[in-house]
Amino acid sequence: MTTLVRPPASSEAKKEQRRRGVTERQRPLWLLTPGGLLMVVVILIPLVLALWISLIDLDQYTLRRWVEAPFIGLDNFVESFSSGLLNSIWISVSFAVLSTIATVPIGIAAALVTQNKYRGRGLVRAVFLIPYVLPSFVVATVWRTMLQPDGVVNAWLSKVGIEGGLWLTGPRSYWALILVEIWAAWPFIYLMALAALQSVDHEVHEASAVDGAPWWPKLRRVILPYLRGPVLLACLLATLNHINNFTLPFVLFGAPAPEDVNVMPMIVYVTSFQSLRFGLSAAMAVLSLVLIAIPLFIYLRAVRLDVHEEGGRR
Amino acid sequence: MNAKKLTALAGVAVLALASAACGGDDEGGEGGAGKTLNVLIAANTQYPDEFAAWQKDISTKFKAATGAEVKFETFASANDELTKIQTSVVSGSGPDVYAVGTTFTPTAYSTGAFVKLGDEEWQKIGGKEKFNPATLGISGPDEQNQVGIPWVSRPFVMAYNTDMLKAAGIDKPATTWDELGQQAKQMTKGDEYGLAIAYKDNFDPWKFVWGMSVQAGNPLVDGKTAKLQDPTVQKAYDTYFGWLTRDKVVDPASVGWTNPQAVAAFAKGKTGYFMLTTTTATNSLDQGAVKGKWKFALLPTVPPGATSRPSNGVEAASILSGDNLLVADYSKNKDLAFEYVKLVTDQEVQLDYYKKFGNLPANAAALQTLSSDPQLGPVTEAAKKSVATPFTGAWGDIQLALTNVAVQSLPDLGKGSISTQQIDSRIADAQKSAQTALDRAK
Repeated sequence: MTTLVRPPASSEAKKEQRRRGVTERQRPLWLLTPGGLLMVVVILIPLVLALWISLIDLDQYTLRRWVEAPFIGLDNFVESFSSGLLNSIWISVSFAVLSTIATVPIGIAAALVTQNKYRGRGLVRAVFLIPYVLPSFVVATVWRTMLQPDGVVNAWLSKVGIEGGLWLTGPRSYWALILVEIWAAWPFIYLMALAALQSVDHEVHEASAVDGAPWWPKLRRVILPYLRGPVLLACLLATLNHINNFTLPFVLFGAPAPEDVNVMPMIVYVTSFQSLRFGLSAAMAVLSLVLIAIPLFIYLRAVRLDVHEEGGRR
Repeated sequence: MNAKKLTALAGVAVLALASAACGGDDEGGEGGAGKTLNVLIAANTQYPDEFAAWQKDISTKFKAATGAEVKFETFASANDELTKIQTSVVSGSGPDVYAVGTTFTPTAYSTGAFVKLGDEEWQKIGGKEKFNPATLGISGPDEQNQVGIPWVSRPFVMAYNTDMLKAAGIDKPATTWDELGQQAKQMTKGDEYGLAIAYKDNFDPWKFVWGMSVQAGNPLVDGKTAKLQDPTVQKAYDTYFGWLTRDKVVDPASVGWTNPQAVAAFAKGKTGYFMLTTTTATNSLDQGAVKGKWKFALLPTVPPGATSRPSNGVEAASILSGDNLLVADYSKNKDLAFEYVKLVTDQEVQLDYYKKFGNLPANAAALQTLSSDPQLGPVTEAAKKSVATPFTGAWGDIQLALTNVAVQSLPDLGKGSISTQQIDSRIADAQKSAQTALDRAK
């Protein structure tokens, strides 16, 4: 028989306590200083400056002595509302959400298609990434050419008996913008979904095979839950990217943009760089930031987006 | 989100301030030796190699004359230039000399960051007399407050297809807008159209409307009052849109055209007139089917609906278009800057620049030597008959508002009809934003 010797509890606890003391109290936090400084210079100072600019009457007349530009409180914010900002926010958000909703199934389907090994899979994966690696400027220029009244798209449509009409002005421009955005942005969802698929444990596939699960229940009840975290995160990032996309509407439609595609970045750009109302455009930017941060916060709380925790739980 | 763009700008400004504080002066040895003059100039994407050679040539000449170096910095778009001006204005350091488009000069003037030209400054560059008088029209709000030194002109003219005019029995190009419409109708048949117009261009539309209004006696801005809600402006839009909706003398596809697309359409040789072009389009036209069959002509100078100009109408053949040179107020090398300006506005250099890039000289003597060229005759005449757009810091906004009327009307044009009420309500919007901009002007 062997007897279990109880280790001297008191000394062990003391050791552990000391170790914890070292890691928590004497952490070399000062090592974070360079990064912190960089954050202050790159993010904090410009943000504070933008806030400040939004409170002053800064335009081409006061730019030279911008420190002395008159302080006008919330006037810029009040003016933002009467300058069509709310309409622009609505266009931006609806455009971004619709684009995201449309790209998710495409992205996931593409990821599933390239999950299993087959001949030429590498090529298919490469081809899928083409829209994503093309610069936004190029994508917009090519689509602008194709969507001309006498362009390729209308020529094809007329072959099947559909009257094309104008894609780059009027109400249709909104759908043209969404269409091009979807074309350019779905590979992002595809990449995120593919990464998540790759991380599904081999055992999971084996277990479903052993249980004899057909492909659809397997996909819906076993595989897709694994994708939930990464795809929700991708949705968030993609939506923000859509909202922030300036190049695409600018190159597709030019400035001034048709009213139907006067998205937030466009209105801020025109106010800032064509009307030279820097104060007003800063107020617009700050307002947009706040107005978008609120639903974003709710979304984050609702989906409890913590990929690691989810992975850990499984 | 969008704050990023602005914060980036602000960040740049802060960094520029910091670097200005650290930066030293450019003081060198005697005369200009050891000094460097920084010049900001638009990149030339059409002739990049020739442009580089020209810069080298100017540097050599400048060095021989002053002992100093010239460093050229180029910008790709008006937006780039604006950002550069903004950061330089805020930080008080940057290029010594700026080449700025004429319609942007009032905005640059309103920043107060450029040297006002007194007699002494004009003398340094060889006197005001050396320039084509019309080009001085947008140098400043009045004679005492000029900042822009004319460098090159790009007056707007129209190009016409000589064969098509002859076939339609037209012996000379139109001189009134009504006549133009009439001739266009005569030439429109099958796949041939009377006019090529870039309806979707971001700059063309306001030039038509401004021109027709000024000819009818309305300069659009009267002191601090915007005069967009006016029968002259309404008639201008009505005529401009009417070519497409009523007269049907333009290709319906032109609803989607920008200026280069209209050039391409005219170059195919199936359009009578190409409205609103400059000498820089010459090469594109000579590469098309229209080669050898086209000529420049002055744009009509009699307003629509009239057979002669009213007494208060102005014979505006073109907006005053081209580039001005501005010397920065903060420059430590002002004397060198004026030396440079003198050099590039001299007759010989101006003619050389014209030959290489197709921009007309602002130098009066140089322009005179070109007027005997039959192809260029109308263009040099247009340069002399160019009229400046109103000199106000609000002009950028007014021009934007005028263009916006056209942009928002495109869907209606696409459907083939636009009502007077629709035009009026869009003009009312434009009037509102133009007046707001004028109210802010200082």
